[in-house]
Amino acid sequence: MPSNQKLLRSLAIVIAMFCACPKLFSQNTIIQNTHIRGFIDALASYQNGKASFGFGEQDLFITSELHDRISFLGETVFKYTPGTPTDFSVSVERVVIKYNYYGNHNLLIGKHHTPINYWNDTYHHGRVFFPTIERPLLFAANFIPLHTTGMSAQGQNLGKLRFGYDLMVGNGLGSAEVADNDSYKSITAAVHIKPVENLRLGVSYYNDVISKDAHVHDKHIGWKVNQQLFTGSVAYFGNKFELLTEGTLALNKTDTTGSQTSTAYYLYGGYKITEKWVPYFRFDNLHYGNGEVFYTKDNTTSFLVGLRYNINYLAVVKLEYQHTNTQLNGDFDKVTFQFAVGF
Amino acid sequence: MDKNKTYYLSRYARNGMVLVCCFVLFLGLTSKSQDSSLTVISNPKGAPANLRMAELKSILLGEKQRWNDGTKVVIAMVKSTTPLGEVISKRIYAMSGDGVRGFWARVSFAGKYDPPNVFNNTSELENFVAQNPGAIAILDKPSGNNDVKVVLIDGKKAF
Repeated sequence: MPSNQKLLRSLAIVIAMFCACPKLFSQNTIIQNTHIRGFIDALASYQNGKASFGFGEQDLFITSELHDRISFLGETVFKYTPGTPTDFSVSVERVVIKYNYYGNHNLLIGKHHTPINYWNDTYHHGRVFFPTIERPLLFAANFIPLHTTGMSAQGQNLGKLRFGYDLMVGNGLGSAEVADNDSYKSITAAVHIKPVENLRLGVSYYNDVISKDAHVHDKHIGWKVNQQLFTGSVAYFGNKFELLTEGTLALNKTDTTGSQTSTAYYLYGGYKITEKWVPYFRFDNLHYGNGEVFYTKDNTTSFLVGLRYNINYLAVVKLEYQHTNTQLNGDFDKVTFQFAVGF
Repeated sequence: MDKNKTYYLSRYARNGMVLVCCFVLFLGLTSKSQDSSLTVISNPKGAPANLRMAELKSILLGEKQRWNDGTKVVIAMVKSTTPLGEVISKRIYAMSGDGVRGFWARVSFAGKYDPPNVFNNTSELENFVAQNPGAIAILDKPSGNNDVKVVLIDGKKAF
């Protein structure tokens, strides 16, 4: 009998929510304002005495206002994926439905860029807006969870300090896009302030439990891992100077190895000679704990210098020289030219 | 010969004067468009009667989603490639027209703010503001449309 009561109570809540929906939305006019955009980049590079040409991900972007409180954002990427029948695959990178419930406070549901740091929260897959040709190395090393499927509460530009927050609950690492692989949920809590024009300071905390035998980024995880990530960001994009530095400290705990500490950070700096010409540099460092089992342990340091020329806001060319030192593959140098466009 | 020479010299001088006058007039007109006064209009529903300049800039940067009465903030703009759009880009956003387009592309495709509604000319813009609650826009010369109100900026009709 108690289970029947529970069922009836749950049913009553669902019915009440369903009935409340028309009331919530009836006062507002339906306006549809849809924007569709695409982004792509073409590349030429020189490494180990060999020149190569290629192109990056083709990013299809849709934003739509469906109602004066509801909007949608979709980002789908077509990318080279060796081993598939056509050598290409389609990847749904973001599907976000946003409900603005009060002032600058929103509820979001879907597949998000995890709001763990400035870069992941600000840039999408289109390279035209990236300050450098590619993302910092901590992204390629899968140091942070780039995407989370789940729900979040978000606030922006609150008060004099233009405070912002993101609180997200998601399926966590190892999950499929449509269901969680275990009963653990990932938690992301991020806050930031914008005390002066063009400056944003942020910190975040991420916690997840990755189940034994989960597959994370094509890697089999043989241990149950309790992961905590602490991240700090400073971003300044002014009229002359650009500065972006972010660091993440990861604590990965397993029953056999205990708690292992790994760190990753980068520092980007740029100077606008004119609105169009921007020379820049970036320094990256990845350092793993000796007993690290969750990440691929490959201590890496990289330094790059580059020059960006903004033809206009949807066409940018960049030329970069990068020197990288990795624990597994030693030293290598690379020169890359990129032509990134939006269309 | 001397008579002819004098005739041609005076003719060149006259043409030169006309050119200089045209150039000065052109410069005057150009600088006038840079310095022209701007007026903020809004739909009667949504925006308050008065705003501070800092508030206006924050609103036009997409930082406010709702007016105090709960109406959604709807930003309307003339194309930043138009002369008025260039003036607004410089005076409100402190950017070039291309910079403003880049700004909106970055923030709207990051999923942060809804992009503004962009119009080719001020009459389309004014009609949109009149028809959409919460809409706000900047014009150089309001046409006197009774369906829109002028929002005072720091207590002034024009700035």
